[in-house]
Amino acid sequence: MRRDRANTRRLWLGPFWTWVALILLFAVSLGSAYIPLGDGNLAFNLFIAAIMAIILIVFLMDLRSSQALVRVTAVAGLFWMALMFSLTFSDYLTRN
Amino acid sequence: MTTLARAVQEPWPDLRTQREAVGLGMWFFLASEVLFFAALFCSYAVYRSFNEEAFRTAAAHTKIVYGSINTVLLLTSSLTMTIALRAATVRLRRLTMICLGATAFLGIAFLVCKGLEYRSDILEHLVPGAGFPLSPPATEIFWGLYWIMTGVHAIHLTAGIGIVIVVMVLFGRGTVPVQGSTMEGVAIYWHFVDTVWIFLFPLIYLAGRS
Repeated sequence: MRRDRANTRRLWLGPFWTWVALILLFAVSLGSAYIPLGDGNLAFNLFIAAIMAIILIVFLMDLRSSQALVRVTAVAGLFWMALMFSLTFSDYLTRN
Repeated sequence: MTTLARAVQEPWPDLRTQREAVGLGMWFFLASEVLFFAALFCSYAVYRSFNEEAFRTAAAHTKIVYGSINTVLLLTSSLTMTIALRAATVRLRRLTMICLGATAFLGIAFLVCKGLEYRSDILEHLVPGAGFPLSPPATEIFWGLYWIMTGVHAIHLTAGIGIVIVVMVLFGRGTVPVQGSTMEGVAIYWHFVDTVWIFLFPLIYLAGRS
């Protein structure tokens, strides 16, 4: 019985601390949005969002313990996305 | 046939390999989903790069309270979903069901909150077209993207809630054993929907605050 309770506690703890980290980062992002930083606001908020996404993917989606093939597949989506952004902006940002 | 034997499907030799296969399949699907949402994010980036001030003005009219409540609801639903997955892996059936129920509840709460927000937006005529109250005209582009991006996200979440409820029914009836690979796919999909929101929140709700 005691061992069951200890197992259940262990099951909760890791995800719980990940959740605490995510909520704290969300609070930082929300608070920083009211500080006038010009273009820095959106850049900082997106930086925090990227950290939150990495934490969620690594610790809650368990990518850290996944096979290499799964990790490659996950990164492939990001690779094609980066290519889409690069090609799109190579057009728009070089127009007169 | 034992529950464990029922959990393993052809052609997998064991449950561990089967779980990995389900995870891999789901990640393939999500890679295509990443590109789907990336097209929307890319549109946002292009239009914002040409209409910076208009986007700031338009974003200041989004409802930050609803957006913030929804972020906390989704982040918490990811916590309950992770616990459901881990509980299922070690065959804690009751905890799995409780956490899946909590996840579905939090997802529904998100949709209710979103509905209230949409109602408030519509009452303020923040729908692109005749009678749109903001200027310059490029503010309509932001609000067009707002409706499409949050709408598509809400559709994904609705699908996720439906899947969670179906899985709960299957687990409840004993049709599918909890320790099988079902939870693996459901959890990865749910977290993905949460991840999309993590990027939508700053682009839509925080962009015009300072």
